[in-house]
Amino acid sequence: MIKLENASYSFKKGFSLSNIDLTIDDGEFVFLIGPTGSGKTTMLRLIYMNILPDSGVVRVGKYSSNSIKKRKIPQLRRSIGMISQDYHLLADRNLFENVALPLHVIGYSKSDMGDLVIEMIEEVGLTGKENHLPDELSGGEQQRACLARALIKDPDIILADEPTGNLDPVTAFDLVKLLEKVNAEGTTVFMASHNYSLIKSRNHRIVEIHGGKLRS
Amino acid sequence: MDKFLFLFGEGIKNLWRHKLTVFTSVFSIFLVLVVVGVLFIAEQNTQKLIEYMRSKYKIEVFFVDSITDKQAEQIVLEIRKIPGVYSTTLITKDQALQIYQSQFNEDLLEFLDYNPLPSSCVVNITRKKDGLLHVKPIINKIQSMKGVDSVNHQGRLINRIEKFYEKGLLGLSIVAFAIMLVTVMIISNTIKLTIYSKKDLIQALKMIGATNSFIRMPFILEGIFQSVLGASLAAGLLYGAVFGVNVLLGQLTSFTLHVQWTFLGWLFLIAVVISLFGSSRAISRFVK
Repeated sequence: MIKLENASYSFKKGFSLSNIDLTIDDGEFVFLIGPTGSGKTTMLRLIYMNILPDSGVVRVGKYSSNSIKKRKIPQLRRSIGMISQDYHLLADRNLFENVALPLHVIGYSKSDMGDLVIEMIEEVGLTGKENHLPDELSGGEQQRACLARALIKDPDIILADEPTGNLDPVTAFDLVKLLEKVNAEGTTVFMASHNYSLIKSRNHRIVEIHGGKLRS
Repeated sequence: MDKFLFLFGEGIKNLWRHKLTVFTSVFSIFLVLVVVGVLFIAEQNTQKLIEYMRSKYKIEVFFVDSITDKQAEQIVLEIRKIPGVYSTTLITKDQALQIYQSQFNEDLLEFLDYNPLPSSCVVNITRKKDGLLHVKPIINKIQSMKGVDSVNHQGRLINRIEKFYEKGLLGLSIVAFAIMLVTVMIISNTIKLTIYSKKDLIQALKMIGATNSFIRMPFILEGIFQSVLGASLAAGLLYGAVFGVNVLLGQLTSFTLHVQWTFLGWLFLIAVVISLFGSSRAISRFVK
């Protein structure tokens, strides 16, 4: 479960998130919608504790922002799969190596991870491209690679920050369907987007943010 | 263990993945270490060179004609006690005559009824002395001795060499210090630039839940590999250069470069310590 209780955060340059109250239950699929600069990314950063709230509390599973120790934050992040508009794939590693990276972080041996990675690449529809470098993949393929990397560690939560921002409408729709498939298997999905037309037809809860404040 | 092997492998693979930045980094480490090494060798050999020069310094003391061998021996003993004098060799009148005969193949006594050559003494100056060696006081003291007729010396030349040595030593120390500072800055900045160019990797690793030590380790290992590589190349070049210079010097003079090769160990240590310091500082900007 993700729970933000009266959470606020201010940047030095002036923008702030104010008194955010939000609960996302386990297994739920929630869209976070709002214009560019409304605070969507900041809210996601609060959830994966890249930043901690100035006031209020953020709770993710058993972790709470007011009591978590710095060295425990990587463990929290291992239960969260992050995908973003910029992919953050490593340009000098092929698809297989990019997808396998989280398993190295967890401590899998090379022999144990091979089948898992192949399976995950197959699940996102990129079979046959294991040896391709990111710049040899299309935007949609890179985003699916990013999703495979997020899913391989079997996370409880997927946080998606404008994952369709660089994709054409068809590819964007395919990605949302892929996320729904993941959600159907029990993973909580929280996806930020400013593309209302893409999400309005999906049957999921929509939370709207504007100027750092949530609207019902 | 799997994690460690992965991180170790990553450190090595990164050398190949980032060939250009690694080349720049290794090359700059190599260059500064060569300069540091040359200074090391110069410092080690300056002392040897000045000792070599001092071994060539000679003061010739001629005694008055009326002096007996016994008196001359007595004066030579006095000269030997002067600080800065390394050794003395007495040449009696008879010995001088023999030397003359052997060198010129002429017997002076054949056309002169007496031996005109005076007793003399060759004075060698001490070689091992840190800092400037003043020969003028030694010469003055010898000249003031009773029984001494004249003193032949290269006082001016010796003074010049000694002053040059003193200035050289000071200059070398200043340059060495400046180079060391520049070395620290160059190596540490090169590593910093390498790490800045990998912000994406650090960001990705953070997002997938890598611990700080997991993120740091490959960078630190890569930094160490680079510095060891740079230091190895520098050590190879210095060793080869000293060998070549010695072959050349051996044909021209008896002076050869003397190097305590343990300094190469210091070279490696300097490189590794600086790279550790540089990479830890640079990575700490991204991993807090």
